[in-house]
Amino acid sequence: MSRAEATRQDTKGRRPIGLLLVAVPVFLVLSLIVWPVALSVFDTLTVETPSGVTLSLDAYRFFFSDSFSLRNLWMTVQVAAICTALLLAISLPIALYLRFSTSRLTGYIQALALFPLFVPSILLAYALIRTLGPNGTVDILLSAVGLPKLASPYLTIWGPIIGLVWDNLPLTLLIVLAGLGNVSRASIDAARDVGANRVQLLRYIILPRIRSTLLVAASFVILGLFSAFTLPYLLGPAVPEMMGPFMRRTIIDVDDPLQARTQAVVTFLICAAFAYFYVRSIARTRREQSS
Amino acid sequence: MSMPALRRAGPASLGLSRLRANGAGITIAALLSLFILTPLVNVAIWAFTEIWRYPAVIPQKFGFRFWGDVLSRGDVHLAMTTSLSLAAIVTALSALICLPASYAFARMDFPGRNLFFMSFLTVYAFPKFGLYITIATIFLGLGLIGNFWGVVLIQLVSTLMFMVWIPVSAFQNVDRRQEEAARDAGASPLRVFWSITLPQVLPAISAAVLLTFVNTFYETEVAWLIGAPEVRTVPLLMVRFINSELVVQYGAVLSLLLWVPSFVLLMLVRRFLGAQALGRALGA
Amino acid sequence: MATLEIKNLSRLFGNTCAVDDLSLTIGDGELVCLLGPSGSGKSTVLRMIGGFEEPTAGAILIDGQDVTRVPPERRPTGMVFQSHALWTHMNVFANVAFGLKLRRLPKDEIRRRVNGSLATVGLEGYGERKTSQLSGGQQQRVALARSLVLEPKILLLDEPFASLDQHLRERLREEVREIQRRVGITMIFVTHGQDEALAIADRIAVMRDGRLEQLSRPDRLYRQPQTEFVAGFVGQMNLLQGAIRSNVMSVAGIDLPVALADGPATLALRPEDIALEKRGDDGGADVMRVTDFGTHLSIEVRTRCRQRLKIMAPPGTGWSAGMRATLSARKFSVYRDGKLCFMPQPCDVRPAAAA
Ligand SMILES: Nc1ncnc2c1ncn2[C@@H]1O[C@H](COP(=O)(O)OP(=O)(O)OP(=O)(O)O)[C@@H](O)[C@H]1O
Ligand SMILES: [Mg+2]
Repeated sequence: MSRAEATRQDTKGRRPIGLLLVAVPVFLVLSLIVWPVALSVFDTLTVETPSGVTLSLDAYRFFFSDSFSLRNLWMTVQVAAICTALLLAISLPIALYLRFSTSRLTGYIQALALFPLFVPSILLAYALIRTLGPNGTVDILLSAVGLPKLASPYLTIWGPIIGLVWDNLPLTLLIVLAGLGNVSRASIDAARDVGANRVQLLRYIILPRIRSTLLVAASFVILGLFSAFTLPYLLGPAVPEMMGPFMRRTIIDVDDPLQARTQAVVTFLICAAFAYFYVRSIARTRREQSS
Repeated sequence: MSMPALRRAGPASLGLSRLRANGAGITIAALLSLFILTPLVNVAIWAFTEIWRYPAVIPQKFGFRFWGDVLSRGDVHLAMTTSLSLAAIVTALSALICLPASYAFARMDFPGRNLFFMSFLTVYAFPKFGLYITIATIFLGLGLIGNFWGVVLIQLVSTLMFMVWIPVSAFQNVDRRQEEAARDAGASPLRVFWSITLPQVLPAISAAVLLTFVNTFYETEVAWLIGAPEVRTVPLLMVRFINSELVVQYGAVLSLLLWVPSFVLLMLVRRFLGAQALGRALGA
Repeated sequence: MATLEIKNLSRLFGNTCAVDDLSLTIGDGELVCLLGPSGSGKSTVLRMIGGFEEPTAGAILIDGQDVTRVPPERRPTGMVFQSHALWTHMNVFANVAFGLKLRRLPKDEIRRRVNGSLATVGLEGYGERKTSQLSGGQQQRVALARSLVLEPKILLLDEPFASLDQHLRERLREEVREIQRRVGITMIFVTHGQDEALAIADRIAVMRDGRLEQLSRPDRLYRQPQTEFVAGFVGQMNLLQGAIRSNVMSVAGIDLPVALADGPATLALRPEDIALEKRGDDGGADVMRVTDFGTHLSIEVRTRCRQRLKIMAPPGTGWSAGMRATLSARKFSVYRDGKLCFMPQPCDVRPAAAA
């Protein structure tokens, strides 16, 4: 018997055990992710009539004609767009520095940029209120140097933006850094050699190579923002509110599970394309890792 | 120039250009310090403040008075107990069901293996909170809202990504030939697992367990959506402090109290895992 | 086309001295090879000339102009990297055209020059290919074209063919030599293959531990190695430890007259400079192994004092293992403290000891 055959026989004998071992987590995924989502999609698309279940778009018609829902959705889109732009604009220079500098500062900068990973977002919310809220640190410092108070971002759209940028910086940075890892130093040197300056390096050599990475980073951020709850709830305005707090209020306070599900499915749909890029890239890194 | 002379002259002769090249670094470090550290430092100061009236830049009186207050509050004790038992139960259950599964995914061959493995990707495919909402609507019908075990169940799903992905890649990284060599030397399969495989995957598994624990402990959204108001975890207590507590220091003390252990645990994770792997585990 | 002058160049990495007080001058249109073992600082020198590494001390002058602090994009140098470093998101044409585009040349001229440059390296018609659709040798040629198209004054090549197989490497280096002659460009070529260096260089700079050991024409490097290291590094050489007593160096059963003070010394003998004579029982050495290369015999002998020597003999001289022989030297040199101090043949290079 060849070795390959032997292993095959070996694994054949184990088949039921393998299935048995993965059964519970797979069952969890099916019953707590796939099933609820499928059920929500189904239920929001149908109504029960005496003659049976029929297709109906009423739930969505309500969502998209309700100005309150639309305002909340619009605010979420705005926050997502601003946060994504800010996060990419902040993490790209940091990542470039970390990747290509040999200075000793890189250690400090990396530690600092990854620090938010170690701060739970509920604590962050509290810290930001104390810093940016009324009579917070920023106000204190401004009045100490004799400047007038600024309008506090607390309870405006900028509150959640600041918090979400803070919270998402480490992982965005790590995604961009991983992408920059594929840009070799030699290809940068070669471009400088033929006369490219910093801006041209970025534009013609680096950005084209990390375009897909940036897309993945943006997808990650956008998915996170459509499901953000704690920070928008504690730092953001009450009206309009982001989809996270809005969905919670609809199901708990308004007690309208159907609309809450409709809202959830709408966020799924809006995020579908981003989810596709994001999941595809995760699947790819897992596959690379395991091979 | 001789070598020692060169070494002495080196930094000085390069000093200016080094500094210029590092201008970017210094700017980044300064801005980032301001952005990241200000809120944290601020909370740390508040935690040790007894009196701080606006608009003084420095608190009027420092002290530990509020530490005693916070530590003796009944709701703090209750929340701590709830959160600790929730985190412990979820972590234990998660380890119990996921670690064998991750071994199976890494080392065994069975029908549908790849499909099942990739099915875990659905955890990443939906905005989390929307997902919780769809689950909550089902739980509403089952009476699991406001129920401790309802919270445990959902937390379990969100820990899958740590407890399956990290150990799977750890198991895959163990060299098959080492195990075969041990079999060759006369060890039983169980013995091989215990003495060869397990020691090599232990750091990654510890990291996964710690991550699961810390994340469950600080999880706010599921607890709030599914658990409130009956299940009172520490993050929910924190929310109450933020919303309705007039004494600022309570929140600050609780923050510091909570943050230090999480920081220590996550630094441990970091030792086991490295920045990139940690990022991957968290979805980067 | 340009002259390059390097003055007391040094580079520290932390505490390791990658390049140590190196000076050399390279003339217009010359092809100089940097040769040395791994880690001897060749790449570091090249990268400093290209501007990718800042010297800790010293100066670099091109055509008399100090470029020590000039960034690479403004230096009149072009570099061909070992890993060829092609930009994988651009096709061949775009790779070669990139530098010209940055200089905002008109489209037709870019096209003309890129095609010309691709023709120079024998890649006409490959412009639309992706870089991943090229063989290793073709990729390396694109890298060469990419540098040549900008008509740099000095072309720097860092082991450009190291990743290629023997045949391709030989062919490409002939092509590079050919292009260099045609274009008349000044070239610095890093390699750790001595065949490569001896085959194409006008002059060879041998480096060791960041220092310049010798800079000479290939034939001189071979015939008159100035240091023991160069003697052992370039070509085959028998290096034998021995001692000088009363103006006689005796080692391996050979006695040689040497006008030097008493003391330990190293005798260097090329395999082709040793003569073998068949003898009876009292011969000075045993023949251990004979390999027939067709053009010559390579003979390994062991002397009475257990020293092994390699000797080259004409073919058909009938040597075989187990025979006995006496040795005599036609040509030799003696090193003391690593430096050449005695070489009996008439030569125009004065021995280092006298300098
Ligand atoms: N960026 C760097 N940081 C620290 N040390 C370095 C760096 N670059 C080179 N060195 C050190 O400098 C010395 C010379 O390196 P260099 O690359 O110039 O050698 P080389 O002659 O090109 O070797 P090879 O033939 O292997 O390419 C080595 O000891 C190397 O370890
Ligand atoms: Mg090198």
